[in-house]
Amino acid sequence: MKTSLILRYIFLAVFNAGVFYAIPLSIAFESWFLLVLIIINTILINVVYLTDRFKPMKWILPGMLFMISFVVFPAIYNSYVSFTNWSTGHILNKTQAIQVLEDRTYTPEDQKGVEFDIYIFQDQNLDFYFFADLDEDNLYFGKAVFDEDISEAIIATHEPSLKINGEIVAPEGFYQLSGKEQIANAETLQEMSLVINKNTRAKLYKISVFGSSTGRLSSTKQLYTYDESKDALIDGSNDAVCPSDGDNFVCQGKEIDPGWRIFVGLENYEKLFSSQRIRGPLNLVTKWTFQFALLTVFFSFFVGLLLSLVLNKEKLKFQRVYRSLFILPYAIPAFVSVLVWKGLLNPDFGVINSWLGPLYELLDIEPIKWLKTKESARAAVLLVNTWLGFPYMFLITTGALQSIPKELIEAAKVDGATGIQSFWRITFPLLMVSISPLLIGSFAFNFNNFTLIFLLSGGGPPVIGSEVAVGWTDILISFTYKLAISGGRGNLFGLASSVTIIVFGIVLLISALSFRYTKRLERIYGNI
Amino acid sequence: MAISRFIKWFKEFGWRHLVGLVFVTFAIYPILFVLTNSFADFPNLANSKLIPSGFTFEHYELLSGDPLVPYFTWLFNTYKVAFVAGIFNVFLGTLAAFAFSRLQFKGRRASLLTLVIVQMFPSFLAFVAIYLLFFQISDVVPIAGLGTHFGLILVYLGGSIGFNSWLIKGFMDTISPSLDEAAKVDGATEYQIFSRIIVPLSRPILVVIFVITFIGIYSDFILAAIFLKDVNLWTVAVGINTVFVDDFNADWGVIAASSVIAATPIAVLFIFFQKQITGGLTAGSVKG
Repeated sequence: MKTSLILRYIFLAVFNAGVFYAIPLSIAFESWFLLVLIIINTILINVVYLTDRFKPMKWILPGMLFMISFVVFPAIYNSYVSFTNWSTGHILNKTQAIQVLEDRTYTPEDQKGVEFDIYIFQDQNLDFYFFADLDEDNLYFGKAVFDEDISEAIIATHEPSLKINGEIVAPEGFYQLSGKEQIANAETLQEMSLVINKNTRAKLYKISVFGSSTGRLSSTKQLYTYDESKDALIDGSNDAVCPSDGDNFVCQGKEIDPGWRIFVGLENYEKLFSSQRIRGPLNLVTKWTFQFALLTVFFSFFVGLLLSLVLNKEKLKFQRVYRSLFILPYAIPAFVSVLVWKGLLNPDFGVINSWLGPLYELLDIEPIKWLKTKESARAAVLLVNTWLGFPYMFLITTGALQSIPKELIEAAKVDGATGIQSFWRITFPLLMVSISPLLIGSFAFNFNNFTLIFLLSGGGPPVIGSEVAVGWTDILISFTYKLAISGGRGNLFGLASSVTIIVFGIVLLISALSFRYTKRLERIYGNI
Repeated sequence: MAISRFIKWFKEFGWRHLVGLVFVTFAIYPILFVLTNSFADFPNLANSKLIPSGFTFEHYELLSGDPLVPYFTWLFNTYKVAFVAGIFNVFLGTLAAFAFSRLQFKGRRASLLTLVIVQMFPSFLAFVAIYLLFFQISDVVPIAGLGTHFGLILVYLGGSIGFNSWLIKGFMDTISPSLDEAAKVDGATEYQIFSRIIVPLSRPILVVIFVITFIGIYSDFILAAIFLKDVNLWTVAVGINTVFVDDFNADWGVIAASSVIAATPIAVLFIFFQKQITGGLTAGSVKG
């Protein structure tokens, strides 16, 4: 057998072993979409590499799997999420939510409990250990913990060897505290307890200077029990029935957190279009997204074209120097230049306001609070994006201008056209033929220019009085980010996904337009 | 005489230089400003100016000394992630491109068209779903879950592989098929044609694709920001913007120094490959 074949089988064996490990886990976590993804990948890999029926796929599949898994699949998953109530408080599925709720405990009102002797020890690290002498068969020894550490506490063990013939024997390496020492440490000791089992703890109740101190049991009880037949929680502390309202249990009119994830159909979309709370901000953001992308393309195209017209002149010196200097803003990673611009624009310390200082004085106006007011933030975003974008426009328009045949312009001149006429009638239309697909591309890029908006203005300044987190320079994608990740009002994954679907729709529209306008698809199809 | 000659020169060339200079200033002022400020010995943004009175390396030294701001760890992380993702991207893209360019099979056109259509949607658009998907992957395969470089690399691989295969395929189409037919006659296998003929001849485009992918990943902010939570795993883009924006005024010198370090290698790379990156074939794939 060839080495390559052996290697292939080893790879497949390892991969499939991994799958057999992952499938039960994703079932246990009820991650159904992930399960589907794993199964699709597994089937494709095994079919393609175990049979010889799909030979070309052996070359294509590795790359394709990544594209399917992390581009196509998330897009589908995104649509699914947009039909759910997935958000903070509704992250878990119902089984998990019930599990969390059933783990909650409460301490019953009457804590009479049994009393028993309790002895305190210290180890070399000066940690406290309790020994609770409940009866012959229940001699519990273990490390004492504070309430906040209860969940990680080690449960005490039955240690009959510590009590021999009624005498307490300190275990090796431990020191037994005397009554006086217990009093000296009383404050700490009374805060601590020994975990005997999930619901029962032993606490120090009374310290005795002579003889043994007294301990008491403190028991906690399960707060909620799920009743499947009623689909309700029973509150153990008052026997109230808490019915489910679909995605939460409701106890005496109050929703109990956490709730769970459910399919809500078009509810998120309805919110987007009819709930005043969401519709207002969404309208605002959508409008600005279009304005921002259009104006950005316009300004940077305008500056780029102007420069290439001015500098594209025979016998003009330093053309190459200009070109290499104009390239610089384009060459620097945007996240760096945006940060630098943020410094320059800083209203209190930035160099832009210190430049404009004399102008402010002359006109007797307040210095502009860059990025702090709606207008100044929008102007700043456009200014910086023009800076980022004009070099590209300069390069492509220069290239396009140079490819326009000179004879055309000269012929127009012969026919008596002025320079302006020949520009608008000949140069510009020809330029647009080759540039317009790139302009559409630039529009699409800036439509989702998250880096610029998020890093320069953070979408801000915030729109005062809005109920969802939104700012005056937020574009759709940064608005989505705030809804889903960082809005300060929890993670509204479901709602954010439905906004993403709108963005998908718009991108699709732009692309369709661009394909139609430029016949690019036909050209591509012809080429393959 | 001299004046009239100057006026003539100005009318023809001079004003063009004037416009050119205005925009050169616009283009490079921020860059020069941050470059000089990174060496300047004034303490904060408030009294920063273009030409500092004294020079110091203090800001650069501060960058490497603070354990709470592991700047060079971020830098290393970024290079690591971008390098690994870039290499695999080119590798897997080359494999696919070879099949699309050299093998005849049913569904070839349809799959190429699918690639083009899928790549119209930037992969970060569905970041909510990517976040939730990897949240679940964290439970099942923790080493590839949320907060890991491995998971982030997987996402970056998916993001541009279609586009890259398409570009590489375009280049491979220009390699004469008579070469591989001759090899076939001599008894070469498909794999030998791939590794001995097509890949060596495609090297120029593979380098360019690697550079473009590398720069793209290096500059990514959104996916790294939602993916990486641990300070020590951050990339430069996430770190620089999370740590240094708290006190812009006082941190200005360090911000400048960190910006220079983060930007210089990429800018050099970009200028070196400028023609290919901005050329018709790949225009707009990094930024635009």
